[in-house]
Formats: sequence, C-alpha cells, structure tokens
Amino acid sequence: MSNKPACWILKTVLMFTLVLGYYNERAEAASPWLWDRVLKQDLVQDAMRMPTSLYIDADKELYYIVDSGRNRLLSFNRKGELLNIFNAGKALSIPFDMVKINEKGLWIVEKGRNSLSYIALKEKKVTPNTLMYKGELVYPDRIEADSGLLYVLNKATGNIISYSNKLEAVNRFSCSDCPWGFVDFKIHEQKLWALDQANKTIRCFNLDGKLIKTFELGSSVNFPVSLAIEPTGFIYVLDRQKRNIAVYDRNGTFKYRFLEKGIARGQLYFPSEIRFDPWGGLCMVDEGNARVEIFKR
Amino acid sequence: MRLLLTFFSTLLCFSTVLLFAAAQPALAANVCFSCHDKALFTDKIIHKPVAESQCSVCHNPHVAKYKGLLRNREGDLCYSCHKKSKNEFAQGVVHAPVAAGNCSACHSPHASSEKGLINKDLAKNCLACHTDLPKEYKQTHKPFADGNCTVCHKSHQADNLQLLSDKPDALCLSCHSADTLQASHKDYPLALKDCLSCHNPHGSERKGLIRNFLHQPYVEGCASCHQGTAKVSMATCLKCHEKTGQELQANHSHITLQNGNSCLNCHSPHAGDDKALLKHRERQICNSCHAETLALYRQTKFPHPPVKKCSVCHESHGSKNLAMLRGGGNAICVQCHETQGKFTHPVGPEVLESHTGQMVTCVSCHNPMGTDHKAHLVQEGKRALCVLCHRTY
Repeated sequence: MSNKPACWILKTVLMFTLVLGYYNERAEAASPWLWDRVLKQDLVQDAMRMPTSLYIDADKELYYIVDSGRNRLLSFNRKGELLNIFNAGKALSIPFDMVKINEKGLWIVEKGRNSLSYIALKEKKVTPNTLMYKGELVYPDRIEADSGLLYVLNKATGNIISYSNKLEAVNRFSCSDCPWGFVDFKIHEQKLWALDQANKTIRCFNLDGKLIKTFELGSSVNFPVSLAIEPTGFIYVLDRQKRNIAVYDRNGTFKYRFLEKGIARGQLYFPSEIRFDPWGGLCMVDEGNARVEIFKR
Repeated sequence: MRLLLTFFSTLLCFSTVLLFAAAQPALAANVCFSCHDKALFTDKIIHKPVAESQCSVCHNPHVAKYKGLLRNREGDLCYSCHKKSKNEFAQGVVHAPVAAGNCSACHSPHASSEKGLINKDLAKNCLACHTDLPKEYKQTHKPFADGNCTVCHKSHQADNLQLLSDKPDALCLSCHSADTLQASHKDYPLALKDCLSCHNPHGSERKGLIRNFLHQPYVEGCASCHQGTAKVSMATCLKCHEKTGQELQANHSHITLQNGNSCLNCHSPHAGDDKALLKHRERQICNSCHAETLALYRQTKFPHPPVKKCSVCHESHGSKNLAMLRGGGNAICVQCHETQGKFTHPVGPEVLESHTGQMVTCVSCHNPMGTDHKAHLVQEGKRALCVLCHRTY
C-alpha cells in the first residue's frame, strides 16, 4: 500500500516523457516520401558535373538533365536508364536550364553566352539569342514553357518575363514589395508560382501578370532556391542551405520537412532544383552529388 | 481518486524540481572580503549582488568549472537574472560579444563609474576589439572623435546592419538638417540619399568625410554614368568592367538581390574606403545576405577559425564551382594549410570520387566552414568517413 503513491508518480512521469517524445518525433518524421530511383551517369570518368536542372517530356516519358559542368544534356527513360548524351557538337557553353517545345528543337539557357539559345536537334545547330526587355539586357536563369509562351526568369532583375516564340516580350511578373525579385518559378494550373528568396515568400500570379496571393514561408526555410507545386496544391520548397524540403499546404501552412545533408542515397549535398514528374515522383537535382533523385509516396 | 493522486504527485514532482533549481547557496560577503580588497569592488555604480554582498550568486567559493569560480558560463550566468535580455539580444543583427555570451567585454561585473556598469572609457573598449578602425583620421567625424559610438550604433543588437540604431540616412539627418545638406550638394542631380555611398561616417583623409578612393567616372562628372534621373543599370557598369562581365557568365553568380543594379549590392558607385570601392568591409557585405548560413556554421562544434576575407576562398562575382569557390577545393586550402597539401589522401584530377565521379579534393572529406567533427571532417573521422567512398571496406 505504501508503495502506491511512488508508483503513480513514476507512471505519470513516464507517461509525460513518452507522450512528449512521441509528438516531437512525429513532427519531424511525418514525411510520406520514399527514395525511388536515381538518374546519374554511372561511368565515373564521365559522371555529370554540377547538374543544374531537369526537364520532363511527359509524352515521350523522358527525363532530360542539364549537365552544366560538362556542357551537355543527358536523357533518361522512366526506369532511370541513361539513353543519350547530347552536346550539340560541343557548341554549348555552360547550359543551365532547358525546355523542349517540340520534336524539332528545344530552348536552353546558356550562362556562358548569357543567351537563350535555340537548338535544332536534327541539325545539332545552336542559335544564340540575346534577350532584351525595354532596352535592358536580360540575364536568363530559369525557363518554363506554357501555352506557346516562354517564361524566362531574368537574374538581373529577379522578374519573370513571358516571350512569344519570336522572343517578343508579352508580360512581366514582379511585385512592388519584392524589389529583389525571384529565384525560381513554376507554372501550375494556369498560375505562375514564384519564389522570393529575400522575403522568404511565394507569390502566385495569373498568367497575365496579376499578383493574386502571397504565402509567407517563415522561419521554416533559410536559403530557399526552388519550389514545386504538387497536383494536390501542396507547395514544396527546397532549402539549399538546410539541405531539406519544407512542405506547405495550399493555404501556406507549414506541414513538415524531410531529407538531410549528405552524400548517401536519399541525402542532399548542394541541391539546385525540385520538380514533380507527371507520374507522382518528386525529382531533386543535386549539383553536389551530381545526380537527380526521385522520391515517391 | 486515482486522478487526484496523479495530479498531486505531478505537482509535487514539479515543485520539488523548481525548489531545487531556485535554491542558491548564500555566503556572507564578509568572508570573501577578508581576502579580496572590498575597495576594488566599489565604485559609483555597484552591481546589485555585490552591493548586497551576495558574491555566491555568481561565484562558487570552493570549486567551479568556469574561470573566476563562476557558477556557469558568463552569458548564461548574466541571463539567469537578466532574463528579459536573453530573448531581446537574440533578435536581428547581434553584436559578436553578445552572441558569444561575453558580457564582460563591455560591462564590469562588480562596479563601474559608468551607468549600466559599462567599463570605463567605452570608446577605447570598442576600439579594443575593432582594431581595424584607425584611432583618428585627418578629418574625423565628431561623435567618433569624442568616442560616442552609441550616437549611431547600438551595443547589443539592432535591426540594421553594423548595429546602426536607425537607417543610415535617417541617422545622418538626425544631426544634419536636410536644408543644410541640400545647400552643400547644389550640383547633385538626384534627390539626396544614401549618404554612405560617398561619405565615411567615422573619418577620412578628404574634406567633408568623402571616402578616400574615388571612382574615376565620379571624378570626371555625373554624366559619365547618369542620364537624367534614370537608374544606372548593371550594363552601364559592365561597359567598362568587361572582365567582371565575363566572370558573371558562370553557373553561379552574384547577379542577385538587387533593385536595379546588382553591382550596387556590394560596391559604392562614387567613393569607397578601398580600391574595390566596397560599400562596407567585405565580411559585413557577405553577412548582409548570408547571415543565417554563417551563423549556422559558427554554431558547429568545430567552426573554421575566421579568415580575414570570404574572398580568400570564394569568388565574389561568379564561379563554375560549388559554393562559388575560387577553385576545385585543393588550391584554396593549401594557401594556408601548406603542409597538408604535401601529404594527404590522393587528391586531384586523376582521383575521382566514386559516388559523384568528381575530383577528390580537401572538400571531399572536410567542410571548411565547420562541422561537428574534429578537423571539420564531414563525418566522424573513422570508418563513417571512409566508407562514404570506400563502400566495400
């Protein structure tokens, strides 16, 4: 009988510890994402060097990786098998991002030329283009294509400009309270989502350039460099410095984070871009680990 | 009944813990002052525990882990009473001694002739750490000459860079009237702003505290760069600075975070304190964008000792390497670690990492900014590190 109070004290303390521990663990370990496969050049002597972006051809079921360090593009099938390595007759100069518009050609950002270049695939011919906007030189960074328009992030202003196929400027995406501009953007369901690194916010625009909403990312991210929007509307933000992904719901409420720094499978070293593929995979381009890893639920 | 018992037992548990935590062994100061000269602990302002002869609030009379028989680390000890300050001093830009918990860098813990227990002669105190600042200039700004650093700077933390108590222009205008300034800048083509772009707020060799190094177009006349009231673009700068233009055409560049002209993130277009016309000291400029990253590495168990300039290792304009390094990772390290460059795990273009196919460099095993492992190793320096590459071992 005399042992009962002591026993209850012990039980209570144990219960507190267990409950607190469970909730702490749950908060950080709620990720449903599992490593699925990797896209990389297995031949060590010819491995990718600082891949910077990924383009997905949904119709052909192909992944294209821009290998900026070796001035080339690599294509992979859905299984992750390397299909082709293309360097346009060694004509590329620090390619950074790309979009394929049809079977005949693709647009590619060449940092080495400060150009939005057109590559005629069959002819392996690269045509450099110097972009201008209202008389000012544009420094192309990220690009996307949608409904016949090319969307170009101008690194010099942080603004996004849409161009016709004749490279005539159509619209500009900017906001008055984000003078530092954007570092990445994606087009999802006829909306343009742009990542404002300095203010740690995401801005959502109509495709006519009108700003419709802003999400605060808060202290969950430190150095956000890329974003991706899941078909469910959840927002994924890649933090290059923390080497993880912060996930927000469609209202911009932080939900959870996952991944960590490292060079092992499923870890990030110097990640540069995230993107969803049409088959439910979350693809992460990792410059430091020279690979693209795909995660699935 | 059981519920009540659970509640009271929990309450008892917490109360006991709190009671033990709050207890501070008291000791009559007379005992301390029988050896330690009391006069040395007496001045115009006396720290409350000293005034109340409660030496043992801070010191353990017998034995302690910390120098001066302190009961705890200096910062933690101070914050155990100055509780509100702990949170307040962690916000915004934080003064390095505050961040390090080194309160005694500026405050005397026992007694002082100055309010706030400030060490005597604060200006000398500031310059004791800020050794790169000259003690005087040919033309010296009065607050600097008088040692009144706090006219412009806050001591613990601030919302502005360089711990300024307000935006730089607002600070200038708090003493210099707008009319006087306008009158002394008759030919200035735009609205007066960004005073620090031309003036050094501490002092200069030039009249009017104009910074020592002048940009040649500024000497030649405003029209060299300015056309009307339009902002001067980066393209204008790159017309002359062609080499910089080439450096910027890389995978990673500092064409970023700008409001019209990226160059002006770091450089002053008119005058500067060095040949590169940097707006501030280099580390301050880097810190203005990369503060969180730098803080994270500073918090590691083995941070790299501070180097004078970030540009010792990193490119300032653009780089084809990760982290905007100046090279692949070997050439940079051996600038200082000369010996290690001669005997090491094989490195260089002939040795490739098995997991990335990229050249093995110092950075393959070390993170030169700092890690939680000795020698800044990326993993604990035994098996865990080696098997990152040597997976069959």
